[in-house]
Amino acid sequence: MKARRIFSLARRVIRQIMHDRRTVALVFVMPIFLITLGAILFRAEAALIPLGVVNEDEGMATPMGKMAIGQLIVDEMEASKALSLVALPRDQIDARLRDGAVQGTVVFPADFTAGFYKNRQAAIDLRLEGSNPARSQQIAARVTQAAMKALAGQMLAAQGASAGAAELPVTLNATYLYAGESFDTMDFVAPAYIAFLVFFLVFLLTCVSFLRERSQGTMERLLATPASRLEIVVGYIGGLSLFALIQAAVIVLFTVGIIRIHYLGSLWLLFLVVGLLAIVGVSLGILCSTFARNEFQVVQFIPLIIIPQALLGGLIWAIEEMPGYLQPFAYAMPLTYANRALRDVMLKGLGLAEIWPNLLILAAFALIIVALGALTVRREVA
Amino acid sequence: MTTVVETQALCKHFGPIRAVDGLDLAVQAGEIYGLLGPNGSGKTTLIRLLIGLLRPTSGRAAVLGQTMPDKAILSQVGYMTQTSALYDDLTVRDNVAFFAEMCGLPPAGSRARIAEVLELVDLQDRANSLVRTLSGGMKQRTSLAVALVHRPRLLLLDEPTVGVDPQLRVTFWSYFRRLAESGVTLIVSSHVMDEAERCDRLGFIRRGKLLAGGSAAALRAQAGAASLEEAFLHFAGEAG
Repeated sequence: MKARRIFSLARRVIRQIMHDRRTVALVFVMPIFLITLGAILFRAEAALIPLGVVNEDEGMATPMGKMAIGQLIVDEMEASKALSLVALPRDQIDARLRDGAVQGTVVFPADFTAGFYKNRQAAIDLRLEGSNPARSQQIAARVTQAAMKALAGQMLAAQGASAGAAELPVTLNATYLYAGESFDTMDFVAPAYIAFLVFFLVFLLTCVSFLRERSQGTMERLLATPASRLEIVVGYIGGLSLFALIQAAVIVLFTVGIIRIHYLGSLWLLFLVVGLLAIVGVSLGILCSTFARNEFQVVQFIPLIIIPQALLGGLIWAIEEMPGYLQPFAYAMPLTYANRALRDVMLKGLGLAEIWPNLLILAAFALIIVALGALTVRREVA
Repeated sequence: MTTVVETQALCKHFGPIRAVDGLDLAVQAGEIYGLLGPNGSGKTTLIRLLIGLLRPTSGRAAVLGQTMPDKAILSQVGYMTQTSALYDDLTVRDNVAFFAEMCGLPPAGSRARIAEVLELVDLQDRANSLVRTLSGGMKQRTSLAVALVHRPRLLLLDEPTVGVDPQLRVTFWSYFRRLAESGVTLIVSSHVMDEAERCDRLGFIRRGKLLAGGSAAALRAQAGAASLEEAFLHFAGEAG
C-alpha cells in the first residue's frame, strides 16, 4: 500500500469522469428528476374515480315523511370528493364499463328503500370493471363508506338502538365484468412486467450492440457495402425481436405456470403485442445509441428513458389514477399502449377486435422511431 | 486502358479544416496506386470519399464510372481500414461469410470462394476461431480476406500494413501484386516510404492536395533526389 499511488489513482478516476460532462450533469440532475417524478406520483391528489349510478329507487313513505335512501347515498358519494358520478340507464352498465367511461356502477333498484326498512339492511349491487383489483377494492370501500354515513342518521332515528351494533347495515353484492374476486394485484401488474422486461432487454441489447458496431468500426465497414441504412435497421430488428419473443415465452410460462397468475387471452395475441413492442425497443435503442459515446453513457439511458416509462406507463399506477397534468406524458410512452393491450388480453380475455387501436399506436411508434433510427445511421460516420 | 477511379477538383471540408482540397486523380485498371503522405494529410478522407462514406463538399469522385456516393457499385469495391473492423464474437469464417453476403456474393459457390480467400491469407487453419482469439496480424489478414471475398474490381486499402510485422508486410505486398496482375485495381495509402517503391504509381499528398504524381523512379528523377523521402520534401518545399 502506497498512499501516493492510491492518491494518483483516485485523482485519475476523478479527472476521467470530469471529462465526461454529460455523466457529471447526470449524476446531479438525474436523482432530482426521478425523486420529483416519484414525489408527484406518490403525493398527487388522485384523479376522481368515475362511477356510474343507476338510481331507480322509488323511496317510501314513513312516519317522518317520504324517504329515499338511494338518493341519500348518492348525495354522500357526491360529497366524498373521491368519486365522479355518472347517471346511467340500467342497460348501459356493461357497455360503459367496457369503454372505460366508468370503472364501476352502483345500482339502487326500485324497492331499495323499502327493502332497507324491511330487512334493516341496505343491499347495494355493485358492478365492477374488475381488471385492477386495487381499484375495485377502492371503489367498494368508497361506496360502503358513503352508504354507512348516509344510513347512520336514519338508523338512529328509525329504530333507536335495537339493531346489533356490530352488524353492518350495508351489504355490497359485487359482480365483475372482467376478472373477479380471485384476481389480485400481481395479476394486474404481471402483464406490465412482461412488457417492461421485454422492452428493457431489447433496448439495452440494441444500444450496446449498435454502440459496438460504431466503436469497433464495423458500422463503417457495413456502410461501405451495398447494404442500405434501412436494411441494417430492419435486420437488427429481426435478430433482436427473436430474443424478445423467446424471453416473453419464458416469462409467460413462468408467471402462468409457477407464479400462477390468471391468464385469459390468446397466446398469439400476446406474442403479437410483445413483437411490436420489441420493434419499438430495438429502434429506440438504435436511435439512442447515436447519442452515447461509450457503454457508460448507455447505462445512463436507464434512468432517462426506461424508468420514466416504468413509472408513467402504468406498471404500478394506472394512468387514470394519475394527476391530469401527468397523463399526456403517459400517453407519449410506447410502453403505455403495450401495457394496455397486454392487460386487455391477459386480464379481460379480449381479442384483436378490441385491442387493435393500441396495436396501431404501437405500430405508429415503431414506424416513426425506425425511420428516425435509420436516419441516425449516418452515411457520414465522420 | 480504362480509368477506374477519377476525381475532379474534389474537396471535403470539416468546418475550417480542408481535409481534401481540390484534388485531381486518375487511376487506371490493373495498377497499384500508392497514396503517400504524412499523418493527417487527407489520405483517409480521400479513401472515404471514394467509397462514398463521405459526401464531397464540392467537386466529384467517380468509381467504375459511377459518381460517388453510389451504393450499388460498392458490390464491386473492396475496402480495408487501418484498424481491423471485425466482429470479435464471430469466427473468422463467419466474418468473411457475413461481408460476402452483404456485398452480394451469390450463394452458389460462396463456400468455395470463402475457403479460397482464407487460404490466400493463410488462415484456413483458424477459420473456426473466434476473431477475439486472433493476434493483430491474423486480424489484419482476416480484414483483407473480407475485402477480397466478393471479387471486387477495385480495392481501397487504407494503411493496410500499419502494425503488421515485416514478414507479413512482404506477404501482403505479394498478394497485392498478384491481384493487380489478375486485373484488380488497388489504391493503397501509406506513410511508409519504402512501401511506396512497390506501387506502379504514386501520389504525394499533403494538406489535402496532390503535390506530385508518377512512378517512384520518375518522382525521384524529377526532384533530383536519391530517395522518395527527399523527393517528398522537395515537392513539399516547392509547394510552400
